[in-house]
Amino acid sequence: MNMDAALQTFFSESRELLEQMESLLLQLETLDEASRQESLHGIFRAAHTIKGSAGMFGLDDVVNFTHAVESVLDRLRNRQLSVSDALVSLLLQCRDHIAQLVDSAEAGNHDSTIVKAGQPLLAALQSYLVAGAAAETQAPALPVSEPPPFERLDSDDVASSECWHISIRFGHNCFRDGMDPLSFITYLKHLGDVISIIPLAEFLPTVSEFDSESCYLAFGIQLASSASKQEIEDVFEFVREDSILHIIPPRSRLQEFVDLIEAMPQVDQLLGQMLVTSGALTENELQRALQLQQQRSSSHQPLGEIISSTNAGIQPVLQAALDKQGKVRDTLVKEQKSLRVDAEKLDKLINLVGELVTAGAGTSLLADNLGDSALNESVSVLNSLLEAVRDAALELRMIPIGATFSRFQRVVRDIAHELDKEIELVINGAETELDKSVIEKIGDPLTHLVRNAIDHGIESPAVRAAAGKAEKGTIILNAYHDSGNIVIEVSDDGKGLDPELIRAKAIEKQLVDENAVLSREEILNLILEPGFSTAEKVSNLSGRGVGMDVVKRNIAELRGRVEIISQVGQGSTMRIILPLTLAIIDGFVIGVADEQFVVPLDAVLECLELKQQPDNPFDAPYFNLRGQVLPLIYLRHCLGVEGRYPARQNVVVVQSGGVSAGLVVDCLLGEFQTVIKPLGKLFSKVGCISGSTILGNGSVALILDIHGLINTMTESEPQLLQ
Amino acid sequence: MGKTVLIVDDSASIRQVVSMTLNGAGYDTIQACDGKDALSKLNGNRIHLVISDVNMPNMDGITLLKELKARPDTRFTPVIMLTTESESAKKEEGRAAGAKAWVVKPFVPQQLLAAVGKLIMP
Repeated sequence: MNMDAALQTFFSESRELLEQMESLLLQLETLDEASRQESLHGIFRAAHTIKGSAGMFGLDDVVNFTHAVESVLDRLRNRQLSVSDALVSLLLQCRDHIAQLVDSAEAGNHDSTIVKAGQPLLAALQSYLVAGAAAETQAPALPVSEPPPFERLDSDDVASSECWHISIRFGHNCFRDGMDPLSFITYLKHLGDVISIIPLAEFLPTVSEFDSESCYLAFGIQLASSASKQEIEDVFEFVREDSILHIIPPRSRLQEFVDLIEAMPQVDQLLGQMLVTSGALTENELQRALQLQQQRSSSHQPLGEIISSTNAGIQPVLQAALDKQGKVRDTLVKEQKSLRVDAEKLDKLINLVGELVTAGAGTSLLADNLGDSALNESVSVLNSLLEAVRDAALELRMIPIGATFSRFQRVVRDIAHELDKEIELVINGAETELDKSVIEKIGDPLTHLVRNAIDHGIESPAVRAAAGKAEKGTIILNAYHDSGNIVIEVSDDGKGLDPELIRAKAIEKQLVDENAVLSREEILNLILEPGFSTAEKVSNLSGRGVGMDVVKRNIAELRGRVEIISQVGQGSTMRIILPLTLAIIDGFVIGVADEQFVVPLDAVLECLELKQQPDNPFDAPYFNLRGQVLPLIYLRHCLGVEGRYPARQNVVVVQSGGVSAGLVVDCLLGEFQTVIKPLGKLFSKVGCISGSTILGNGSVALILDIHGLINTMTESEPQLLQ
Repeated sequence: MGKTVLIVDDSASIRQVVSMTLNGAGYDTIQACDGKDALSKLNGNRIHLVISDVNMPNMDGITLLKELKARPDTRFTPVIMLTTESESAKKEEGRAAGAKAWVVKPFVPQQLLAAVGKLIMP
């Protein structure tokens, strides 16, 4: 078909209309009311015709702009707007712009500058439309058949025995409306094969009642087609209103609908909406069912029942939709069971519990000293209750990290897309609970680590394929509890960190001396140093570095630390280790000379007596623990405690980050509920103390930082722990 | 012999495209530029389908529809109304006058062909 000739007609026609529009607009203000209305109709018609024709030729720019003009004109001719000088000059400008758009279309170039020039005009038009016309201001997109909301995977292979069953009873006025039932049935062939047509005679009236101009036809049709239910219904769109139409999907389709419903996102949806989205029900059928429900509102019939009574064969899909709805609602109800409490109130409660724990410790000490067995009994019951209250209070602040983790699905997807990488995010340990305040502060550092893993860790698909890895990279977010700590890991299977490059870079940045002897770990940790890398240009280095010092600082504020594990070519793991709680812990009190210290109980593995043996000299730096070498830390030396040596010493075996060590102490004083009091700024540089607490007798004890202690020792005796 | 479609629209380009589309699909076409013109072109011709714009000078589409329904030779002739989304009031009026088939402007030729195909065979 030769569209060019028609297009030429359109251009000349548009010009004529635009000229007409111009002259009508110019005389608009001088006219009396009646002829003004006449002119307005003419102007509107001109714009309307241009829009309609332009749409047919796919000239979207013309359509969109003219639509806005038309909307204003519509309001004018309906007297919702009055003619003013300003409006007329605006419309004249708009007319000129339409002319430009038409010219540019004729020249065959899509010039975006012309379209852009129309923006201020559109905005000005908009101001005349604001009141009550919002719905009309949206430019109508060219009607394109919308793709179904879900991909239909098997739309091509409908088994021949699997047919749509269509039952149609035409309305009595069908002939009078000029409709020919046969033509609709013939048209069905466009969608697929009509297997059989059975006329249904039961609706024929008796001869005396028979009206020759009325239509009494009804058919049962078997159609083999891959079309959607909506498409089949659309065939009958012109007779839909007066006819009774039932479309029963083939059995394989029912399964498809069920699958689609099950795959829908976990959002609370109305039952009808779910059925329509899946394609099991058409919009029309839903409207009818809703009307029926309204009519029968007295009996409170559920929508599901109505739908299943009017749509044969839909039951399995309906059931799936109801199940889905139930499931979603269940989770919603679960969420609604929770109570929103002001975080400040919780903090207050935790503080009070802390005070209570301290007071309780004092009471039990007093009871102990008095030696009254009845009192002791009652105090111990009180203490166990106190412990339960403490745990319950602390638990109030604990929330699972899952929500924080799942936010990264989007981050990973977006950034990976941006960088043209294929990355899968695996989440483990989403149920691991963390203190709320920790969760709030962990988001930023985690985002940083994940971004780095995507940006610098995972290679591009081509590089990965060349290295013999799967093209799709994997990032694993993991969280778990480990001896009183929460560990959060961000792992990738990318190219890993190259210690040589990091070292070279650190030397260049003057962070380390050229001759410094550094262990592999120390080198990797250099990337956490401030100044190691600035935001620009890190990609030439195989590592990360964008603001890693910020990550380190954020984590340190939470009394946590960052560890880096990396293997060149195999990937890296950034491990964040945080204390489980920030308020109250189970502690283990130990004594050295006259001083008492608290070790977090979670870090304690066992306690042993330090015996003097021939193979175990008194001041030996190690201990034979059932055949294993256990490095010893003499707290007396380490912390500089003075005083007499006791008759015998004990070893408290502690563990932190997979490394065990023995703390040599004088005496073991047992478990103690420890309310952590932060130390002043003055002590911030002291590596092996993490806080203080008040003991039952009112004296202050320091809480040992096991990781810090082990590190201090490693620095002085590195070979012991290798 | 093919079926004849009467195309009524005040835009020559729309008439031309609709006509070409239908001719290509095997229909014969007659063109009219408004309702009055359409009625005058009915005489002596057997029309199988009328495609009419709503908004036209001289005689609009709704009036034309009423006229067609009143004439014995055209009362069973199907009519497709061409309309825009924004004319909801007009649409109601058309419905009352007995219009059943609507095609919303702007449309692409394929859509029109589908609508025609549902009503009459080539």
